[in-house]
Amino acid sequence: MTQTQAAAGRRETDRLNKGGTLRRLSRRPEIGAFAVMVLVVAAIAIASGGTAFNPLGLKNNMAVIAQFGIIATAACLLMIAGEFDLSIGSMIGFAGMSMTMMLKWGLPFGLGEATPFTAFALTLVMTLGIGWLIGTIVVRSGLSSFIVTLAFLFFLRGVTEVAFRVINNSTQISGLPDYKQTSWFADLFGGQTFGWFYDAWFWLGGNINRAGAQWVTGFDARVMWWIVIALAAWFVLARTQAGNWIFATGDNRESARANGVPVNKVRIALFMFTAFAATIFAACQVFETNTADASKGNLKELEAIAIAVVGGTLMTGGFGSVLGVVFGAITFGLVANAVFFIPAIDGSYYRVFVGAVLLLAVFLNENLRKRITGGL
Amino acid sequence: MRTPVIRTERLIKRFGPFTALNGIDLEVYAGEVHALLGDNGAGKSTLIRLLSGVHQPTEGQIYVDGEPVSFRSPRDASKAGIGTVYQDLALNPLMSVTRNFFMGRELYTGPRPFGALRMAEMDRITHDEMIKIGIDVSDPQQAVGTMSGGQRQTLAIARAIYFGAKVLILDEPTSALGQKQQMEVLKTMMRVRARGDIAIIFITHNEVHSKLVADRFTFLALGEVIGKGSRDELAGEDIRHLMAGGVEMRDLEKELADIQAM
Ligand SMILES: Nc1ncnc2c1ncn2[C@@H]1O[C@H](COP(=O)(O)OP(=O)(O)O)[C@@H](O)[C@H]1O
Ligand SMILES: [Mg+2]
Repeated sequence: MTQTQAAAGRRETDRLNKGGTLRRLSRRPEIGAFAVMVLVVAAIAIASGGTAFNPLGLKNNMAVIAQFGIIATAACLLMIAGEFDLSIGSMIGFAGMSMTMMLKWGLPFGLGEATPFTAFALTLVMTLGIGWLIGTIVVRSGLSSFIVTLAFLFFLRGVTEVAFRVINNSTQISGLPDYKQTSWFADLFGGQTFGWFYDAWFWLGGNINRAGAQWVTGFDARVMWWIVIALAAWFVLARTQAGNWIFATGDNRESARANGVPVNKVRIALFMFTAFAATIFAACQVFETNTADASKGNLKELEAIAIAVVGGTLMTGGFGSVLGVVFGAITFGLVANAVFFIPAIDGSYYRVFVGAVLLLAVFLNENLRKRITGGL
Repeated sequence: MRTPVIRTERLIKRFGPFTALNGIDLEVYAGEVHALLGDNGAGKSTLIRLLSGVHQPTEGQIYVDGEPVSFRSPRDASKAGIGTVYQDLALNPLMSVTRNFFMGRELYTGPRPFGALRMAEMDRITHDEMIKIGIDVSDPQQAVGTMSGGQRQTLAIARAIYFGAKVLILDEPTSALGQKQQMEVLKTMMRVRARGDIAIIFITHNEVHSKLVADRFTFLALGEVIGKGSRDELAGEDIRHLMAGGVEMRDLEKELADIQAM
């Protein structure tokens, strides 16, 4: 028998071409999202003649980006664990309703006047409770989370509308006092952050309004919430034991269970996390504008899922990254807001863009999944 | 005389009116490969489900290191040092080798479950443990999905051993693999055997494989032991005869010839 020298010395492990840094990068979940983001940032900067990134433009864009980022981060973690939450948008509406109603009409059960803190805390207890309930129904029944959370999408939106009409005789609340002026707690959600950034900009000779004074004084507080939530989610997912459990639960639930991963607790906790993110989203909105209406958060669950997918999260679970969601949120936020900086375009192009990018992302993700698992 | 790591005494398992196992006696020793052979439906899987705590015996007793035990769950069995590598291997293809190795038993610093993973240490241990039984994963961060079937078997085996298995149960580990990878798995088994402190229960359909690695054989047919013995005690012809559930080869040949003649 003849055997070539090369074949004799080769082993199974030699067959995996580990490639260079570039190949390695191409296997990261967020690489596609990063490329799209760079393109979008450049395109919008040019098309808007720079106004999208002047002091006010940046503030307004970051406000939308942060909104998307907060809920998409939570949606991403849940999707990595193999589940969906279609109730995020309705949860936002419910939480906003709950907080403003308490502020206007007082705490339930005759507990007296509400403060921003008590209104928020009581609302959070309710939304976390609903998140727990959704998670428990999903893990106990074995039903698809798609259906269970679809039910809660309708249920919570309905409850929100009914509560507004019955108690408030109107589907919106306005004319609440500007709490962020008097309450540090309301200011935490509705006020401004990173003032030093704009101060420094002014100090360096930019950020000047027509009167020659400092123009913009800070980002919306939600930018800080987004950064905190994204950092925490990134750390938990990539660096902790809980993160390993999240990946394991979404990749192959039965093998995770067989190895002692508490897959039910992981999923219930993540449904509570999406409820938490929706509540933060609502609190930022309520305490910034001091208003709420029954349609708040409409369709936000779908945008959150779209952003997670564009960020490289697999629809089938087990794979994804918080950094990808950051890139995805920046992309979506900029495009959603583009109409304000590029008056020539129709605002509905945003949806055209979302549709196209989503489809592209799904194909890219599927390709990525095959490259990761299909190797041999 | 040595104490068997696992010994079963007149183990009976009934599913309703159906007797899947009817009084099984089995002795498994450390440092040996014990082949469990038998036709489909003979009761091999049922027997290992009793040993790994998935089912509870209807009658009879299991002993581990001479002590009577009763497992109420797979966790109990695993605590007693019985590591079962099922056919699906309980691996997650999208996750890295290291993350799979430590799945559910991560090393971390800080409060559970938000403690920071000690990734470098886990990478090193994974790499070292895999080398010990013959596979050099140069990059423990590679996804398990990129590994061959034989490498995955090895990963599952290395994991079971590292987390304290003194009895390794392998349920048809070679059946889904190609020729070359089957040999890889057999080599892995021999390396584990060479450690001397671990007993391997090897379930297989493959007479050739069992003869290559096994020190001791137990043959099951219709829920009963129809033959057992050490490698020396059993002649080659016996094994084929017993594998076929006790049917005489000559009878079979005659039957086949009769059909052909028709
Ligand atoms: N959970 C169960 N309920 C009822 N019958 C079972 C169950 N598990 C196995 N059996 C029966 O027990 C017999 C032995 O099965 P099994 O142990 O899987 O055989 P083997 O692994 O040797 O092919 C088969 O006839 C099977 O149908
Ligand atoms: Mg079987």
